[in-house]
This record gives sequence, C-alpha cells and structure tokens, in this order.
Amino acid sequence: MSTESQVLRPPLTAAGSQPIHLSTSPLQVFLALIWDTVQEARARWLFWGLFGLSTLLILFFLFILKIDVVQGAISFMGLPAGAGRTVFSIEKFVRSAYMFVAIFLYVWGTFLAIFASAGLIPSVLEPGRIGLLLSKPVSRPMLLLGRYAGTLLVVALNNTYLIASIYLIIGWKTDIWYHSFLYAIPLATFNFAVILTVVVLIGVLSESAALSLMVAVALMFISSLLAQRQIVVNLLNSEWSRQLWQALYWIIPKTWELGKVMRDLILREDPAYWIAPLWTSAAFGVAVFLGAVARFQRKDY
Amino acid sequence: MSSRCAFKGENSESMTSDYAIETDGLQKIYRTRFTGRAFTAVAGLTLRVPIGSKFGLLGANGAGKTTFVKMLLSAVRPTAGRASLFGRDAQEEESRRPVGYLPENHRFPTYFTGAGMLDFYGALSGMSAADRKRRIVELLELVGLETWGDVRIKKYSKGMLQRLGLAQALMHKPRLLVLDEPTDGVDPAGRRHIRDILNGLTGAGVTIFLNSHLLSEVETFCDYVAILRQGHLALEGKMSSLLTKQGVVITVRDVNEQAQRLIAGMASTTRVVEDAVEFTVPTPLEANRSIDVLRAAGATIYSVIPTTSSLEDIFIEITGSSRNAGARGEIPGAEETVAAAAMSGVHQ
Ligand SMILES: Nc1ncnc2c1ncn2[C@@H]1O[C@H](COP(=O)(O)OP(=O)(O)O)[C@@H](O)[C@H]1O
Ligand SMILES: [Mg+2]
Repeated sequence: MSTESQVLRPPLTAAGSQPIHLSTSPLQVFLALIWDTVQEARARWLFWGLFGLSTLLILFFLFILKIDVVQGAISFMGLPAGAGRTVFSIEKFVRSAYMFVAIFLYVWGTFLAIFASAGLIPSVLEPGRIGLLLSKPVSRPMLLLGRYAGTLLVVALNNTYLIASIYLIIGWKTDIWYHSFLYAIPLATFNFAVILTVVVLIGVLSESAALSLMVAVALMFISSLLAQRQIVVNLLNSEWSRQLWQALYWIIPKTWELGKVMRDLILREDPAYWIAPLWTSAAFGVAVFLGAVARFQRKDY
Repeated sequence: MSSRCAFKGENSESMTSDYAIETDGLQKIYRTRFTGRAFTAVAGLTLRVPIGSKFGLLGANGAGKTTFVKMLLSAVRPTAGRASLFGRDAQEEESRRPVGYLPENHRFPTYFTGAGMLDFYGALSGMSAADRKRRIVELLELVGLETWGDVRIKKYSKGMLQRLGLAQALMHKPRLLVLDEPTDGVDPAGRRHIRDILNGLTGAGVTIFLNSHLLSEVETFCDYVAILRQGHLALEGKMSSLLTKQGVVITVRDVNEQAQRLIAGMASTTRVVEDAVEFTVPTPLEANRSIDVLRAAGATIYSVIPTTSSLEDIFIEITGSSRNAGARGEIPGAEETVAAAAMSGVHQ
C-alpha cells in the first residue's frame, strides 16, 4: 500500500493550527468503506436480524430438535445386529442427517443474506449521499468494491456463526463430528459472493432494492432449473434449444451444483466435477461486477 | 497561466496555478433516457476562481449552479470542456483531496452520530485516526455542536445538520471549500452562525466557492461574483467594482478574439448580451483608454454609458423578474426579491 503523504497548507486559523497529513493509502479508504457498510447493516437491523434468525435456528437445534433420536438409533440398531454392518449404516444415517441440515442452512443462509443485502447497495447511491462520497479522493470502483466487501463480510460472519454453531451443537449432542459439514461455510459464502455481484449490478442500473432482490432470487431459481440438464436435454426437441440451454447453464452461476458439491463432500463422495461450477460461477461474478463498475463510471449523480 | 507559489515557500512543487478553480468551456447537456431530448444545464462555462478568493456563483433555481459544481467534483461527467482544481485536472482523484464540499440537499446517513460522520468522511479524505480524533473535537466546538457528538444525526435539526455538514467539509483543512446553498432552509440565526464560521476562515488563504440563489448572502460575504442564467455566464466580476455606484458601461460589437482578451484585461465586470459585449470600467479615463485599444483591435463601440447600478439592479435585470412586475420600489428586501426571481425564473 502506498502511504505517500502530503501536507496541506495553510491551516485554518478558525479551528486548530496543527497541519494535517493526508495519506493516499487505498487500504484506509477500503477499510473505512467496509466499516461504514457494517455500521449501516447494524443500524438497519439487518445485522441483528440475520444474527437473530440464525440464533433462533441454533436454539431450535439446541433444545427442540431431538438429536437423541440419533443416539436412539445407535442403541436400537447397535445392540441386536452384527457389529460391522450396523456401524456402517448408522454412520450413513448420521451423515445424511448432517447433509440435510447443511443443505437447509445453505438455502436458508443464502436467501436471508440476499434479503438483508439487497438494500445495502442502492442505499449508498441515493442522491444526497453519493455526491459527497464522489467528491472525496476515492475512485468509483473503490466505492463499489468497499460496499461489496462490507456486505460480504456481514454475510460471511453470519454464515460462520450459524454453521459453526450448529456443527458444535450436533457434535456435542451426538458425539459424532463431521468436519466436512464446515464446508458449508465457504460454499454458502462463495455462492452468495457471486449472487451479490448481481445485486450490485441491478442496484447500479436501477437504484432499486426491490428489483435487485427480485433478480437475485430469480437467478437462483433459474440456476437450479438450468441445472436439471439431464432431464431437460431429453425433453427439448430441437438442437438449438438444447444448445441454448447448455450455454445458459454454463453462463449462469451454479447455486444448485455448489449445493451438490457440499452434499457430496459431507457424504464423503468425491465431487469430481466441483472445479467447473466453481470457476464458471466465479467468472460470472467477476464479469457482472466489472459490468457494474463500467456502468457506475459513466453515471451522473 | 503563470506559475507562482501561492503560499510562501511551502509545498511549491504541487502548486502550479494561481487559480483554485479553472474551467474551460465546461458544458453539460442532460439527455432524457427514452426520448433522447437534450437539455443544456451548463453551456460552456469558462471561469477562473483565484486562490484565496471568496467566490459567489449566483443564479435562480435551475440556472445550473449545482451541475457546475458537480462537474468540478466528478459527480457529473461534463459533456465537453475541461476543469481543473489548483492546476490539476479535475478528473484525477487527487485533485479532489484539497477540497471540502457541502452538497445541496445532502442526506447524511442517519445511523451516524455527529462524531462518527466526521470520522468516516475524514478517513475517506486520508486523515489519520489521531488527526481525526483531535479534529472532531475542534470542529464540533467550532460549529457549536460540542455536546451533540455522540447523538445520532437523525435527531439533528436542519440547521444543526447544515453546521455538521460544514464541519465535515472543513474536516481535513481543505484549501478549497465548495458550498452549495449552505444556508438553504436554515433560520436567520443559523444563517448568521454559518456566516460567522465562514468569516472565521479568512486570512488563511482558504478559497471559498459559494453557490447561492440569495443575492444578500453573496453580497455580504463574497469578493468575487458570477451570475449564471440558464447555464450561461451572465456576469462576472469583483464585488467591489459591482457594488460601486459609479463606472462606465461600454457596449462593444464585432468583438474578435484579440478584443475579447483586451476586455478581459480592462473590465471590472463583463456581460455578454446577444452579439455584443457589455463591460464596465471604473473611471471615464479608463473608458477612454479602453475605447482606443478596442477600436484599434477592430471592435465597434456601440454605446458608452455612465452607470450607477448596484449589484442588486444587475441581478434583478439579469434574472428578469421585477422589471415585469414593475414594482421595484415595493420590494422589501434582497432575499425576497431573489426568491421571486427564482420562482418566475427559468424553471416551472
Ligand atoms: N440528472 C439530471 N437530469 C436531467 N436534468 C437535470 C439533472 N440534474 C439537473 N438537471 C436540470 O439542469 C438544470 C440545472 O440544475 P441545477 O444545476 O440543479 O441548477 P441550480 O443548482 O442552479 O438550481 C435544471 O433545469 C435541472 O432540471
Ligand atoms: Mg442548486
């Protein structure tokens, strides 16, 4: 980071006389923008809303859900049957339980995150607010990036809190620890990071939180629909429509596939295909974010 | 543009201009999105704001003042022309570092406390945490909000918000302060307070650029003034010469480039009226000299009239309201006059 400083003179006689050094460090600006986003998320109750709902879910797992069922299953299946086979099926049972919880958290977390974040992007573009930000020695891409990173930070923290807590609770209750459950944290956060670029783009284009929300949710559904390739490709009767479906499938971020990767990781099945969903989704995210920056650069406020 | 260091010996490498603001044919044409209809908000403005001056940009609502300032600060992209701040191209981020800005119709995020807001914008300007901490205390005191620092700004009154906005603009000790309608919606006591704060800045070489539709505000505070009408520069000059009751107004036609430069050198105020240029010189002696050189440059002298007009007369004439009303004598005060001018003005 550059920390080249310049001294601005002369000082104002009206208030204080010590000269002020102004650093040109982009890192300071970036951190300030992130902090501002977190502050706004807190003030709009988004922060506490996310964490509150997560806490509710955690409490549900802690008290209400009878995970002792698992223990019961272990004792039920464990006692009479032969050792080898039973242990295998119990493990499979617990893994499946984990997998369902992980998928549920993935969907739950992503939806809540989209709802929470959709307002954070357009709000900074409101007239009366953006004008002053732009007058600072800060580039427009940096403004957008700071907002993006701040929003992502809030969601990443929430995902970690939610998933790690439930991992601990289930582990504590069953004494079975599946570390691969924790893959849900980076996967859910990554999927959200990609979807958030769409929220940014629509936010810049329309300055409407509601529209950003609609498009982001629609995209997740479309993505899941497109992922049903095996079924659909047989149903489509023309070559070009199949091609189109395939093309769309590769372009659109792969919320569904990423969920499947998570499932396979938990079920200890090697997800051989996980690289492609990851990089194509990332490429989509980068492209959309660059598009948002390009549009933002040319806008008048 | 000559190169001289404005502040003795200090920081001379970054000072390349005598002007805090310099624009060259700065123009903004807005286009409506669907019909593509063009609307010229600012029509090729060429303006120089000397370092250390208090420059007032006057004009009715919709004249293009805000658009002009936004182009300087990169919120609006110019359609054509150039702008520079302290000799640095206004498109560079760094050109904005020495600028403090109080926007019109600002809406500071309400989750900030007063101190929190100053801290955030100070950080964006590049101030260190220690400087910010010290400066927040100084500035809250300066604007009379010392007990309000920890209160969320949604509880602030309009006048307090405006003062806080001013503190924000002053946070990093800017060399140029750009204020867009700083007393808009503020009660008279609050206005006075703001004016006192601004007066306290004088002597430090801070350049103040003030947008206003209130003649009284500019008249009492500024030493330079320009009047904008429908995006065009209608008049520009030193306040002292605009306020003098004596002078000679010379109207010239067939003004070529050379004559234009000569006029710029001699005039205390200049106005462009259709195909003619109207300018003022303070004394008859200077009027004679001007006439000689302009004729030599090929311009046609159209009229020479001794004048007694004050800034108010000029402003009213330019914004064109009270002449139609025909009741200049009954107008109670400059502010109301200007408000009337604004309402019957370009827009609506
Ligand atoms: N974003 C915009 N799109 C279209 N027209 C605009 C926009 N912003 C301002 N205008 C028009 O430009 C003109 C000048 O506006 P403005 O610069 O705000 O004037 P002032 O500050 O002098 O009141 C007005 O007629 C206004 O309607
Ligand atoms: Mg304005």
